[in-house]
Amino acid sequence: MRPILLSGHERALTQVKYNPDGDIIFSVSKDHVICAWFSHNGERLGTYHGHQGALWTVDVSPDSVLLASGGADNTLRLWEVQTGKLLKTWDFPTAIKRVEFSPDGRQLLGVTEKRSGHLSTIVVYEINPDPAAEQTNEQSLRIVCEDSKATVAGFSYLAFYIIACHEDGSVSQFDAKTGELLFNTQAHETDMLITDLQWSQDRTYFITASKDKSAKILAADSLEVLKTYTTDTPLNSAAITPVKDYVILGGGQAAMDVTTTSARQGKFEARFWHKIFAEEIGRVRGHFGPLNYVAVHPQGTGYCSGGEDGYVRVHHFDKPYFDFKYEVEREREQQEQANL
Amino acid sequence: MSRVAGRTDWAEEEDEDSLQLPQQTITKNRDGTETIVSWSIREDGKKVKTTRRIKKTTIKTVVNPRVAERKQWAKFGQEKGKPAGPQTDTTSVAENIVFRPSANWKATTEDKSEDAKKKASLKDAKIKCRICSGDHWTTKCPFKDTMAPEGVDSTPADLGLDAPDQAGALGGGSSSYVPPHMRGAQGGGGGERMGGKFERDDLATLRVTNVSDQTEEQDLREMFSRFGHVTRVFLAKDRETGLAKGFAFVSFADRSDAATACEKMDGYGFRHLILRVEFAKKST
Repeated sequence: MRPILLSGHERALTQVKYNPDGDIIFSVSKDHVICAWFSHNGERLGTYHGHQGALWTVDVSPDSVLLASGGADNTLRLWEVQTGKLLKTWDFPTAIKRVEFSPDGRQLLGVTEKRSGHLSTIVVYEINPDPAAEQTNEQSLRIVCEDSKATVAGFSYLAFYIIACHEDGSVSQFDAKTGELLFNTQAHETDMLITDLQWSQDRTYFITASKDKSAKILAADSLEVLKTYTTDTPLNSAAITPVKDYVILGGGQAAMDVTTTSARQGKFEARFWHKIFAEEIGRVRGHFGPLNYVAVHPQGTGYCSGGEDGYVRVHHFDKPYFDFKYEVEREREQQEQANL
Repeated sequence: MSRVAGRTDWAEEEDEDSLQLPQQTITKNRDGTETIVSWSIREDGKKVKTTRRIKKTTIKTVVNPRVAERKQWAKFGQEKGKPAGPQTDTTSVAENIVFRPSANWKATTEDKSEDAKKKASLKDAKIKCRICSGDHWTTKCPFKDTMAPEGVDSTPADLGLDAPDQAGALGGGSSSYVPPHMRGAQGGGGGERMGGKFERDDLATLRVTNVSDQTEEQDLREMFSRFGHVTRVFLAKDRETGLAKGFAFVSFADRSDAATACEKMDGYGFRHLILRVEFAKKST
């Protein structure tokens, strides 16, 4: 496969996201600008200007009309996707580390950083899906994380739970209506930051990536660890691929150690693991810095990764990716055919 | 770029120069490609001629109407007013990456790192298997137990590989060096087996030749598995391009299945070529 290299950013990428139809990729980096790209040819649709600090996160509504972003300028902003117009700015005392729309697009979640006397919080706003409408200033929910700061969070299926991952390696489950803490579990090693949380297509389970060099799949209901993928490098991101049962893990040496490691040792590769057999099946090289985020096309036809090197690489999978099967899978298929 | 002779006004000339950049020219070539020649002035003031040869292929895909509508959106922000299509300053195509998932990925790469040094020292040497002309040592050949080396009496003429392969083959037998042209005359000596005594059931292995270079192992597996249980498919591929070299080996669990497959598939038209299927020759 020939990756498309997107070089519209001047600094390290922090998050990349596909919209639900998979035709547009949104990317945010520490250079204050959000870019929108067409995924099939890498053409840049436009840029969104207004943020005054490094950006940490971006998310697009399910109908691809609204875009939310958050960053180190302590604001959470809402944009119109089509025109790049800034619709709303919410101010906070600390930086926004993660935003996510609920599956129906009517709620927006934000995770705030812990700093200078302010505890980390998870806030939720009701969103009017009409871009022309006035958005509310009122938070419909505010969860304060007293024990350990939340790093990432997201809505489960039907926005039933809010799942948050913490700095200390634990994962907690909140009731999305009341904000009540239902359950907390130490999924990763103690005091190892969880860097990413991404959902399966139906949002009944999710994958977490952690600095403890492992990624885990957990069930949204029980927070039971279903699968563990242990690698040899700190992980920054993990994604679940639709269509084929794989997961993609991205990471690499921490940004501050990069200058002392060569690209080969740095392990700046996207790692493909089989989701069920929990076995590594291949790697894709290309970045010359750690991968900060990997996102998968919602139809499973490709993936893109954003790196510390400032590039987004968009990959369209080719035939061997879809053809690959384990011997047992093949045998089962043959038996099924024979039974028919 | 005709400059008026005898003009002395240097200021005028300067202006003239920047205006004199030739227009971009597009030539349509006979093979359907286009050659685009464009001129630009670099930051250091040098004039640069860029020649690009482009082949355009139209790929039609059916997309959701929402996606089609978004494709028509006007560009905004830094891209405002830019023409449709990817801009060269933000979008480029990276080098090709071969990504083939494999079940024992970890084991194979660990092996690699082990003898990485060995490999590095032999980097320039062309490695070619004497049995299947694959890019591995003859000892590592998956068919070393099944097949006789090429160039020995059992070499099929239709493979069309002879002298150059022999010359390229490295690491022959255990005895002293035998020049390539002598190897055939060694009377079976060329067929001395490397590796263990392990004998595979080679009676049920078919050799498939005249395979299209676009073929994947999966295609062959699908075609042949309708005759019985296929235990193994090996498709020789070029290391650089990843394209098939034109022949493959298919092993069946059962010899009678192999026999049917051989009979039915010999002369079968696959892609644009006619397959030739025969039983793999046993090594001496």
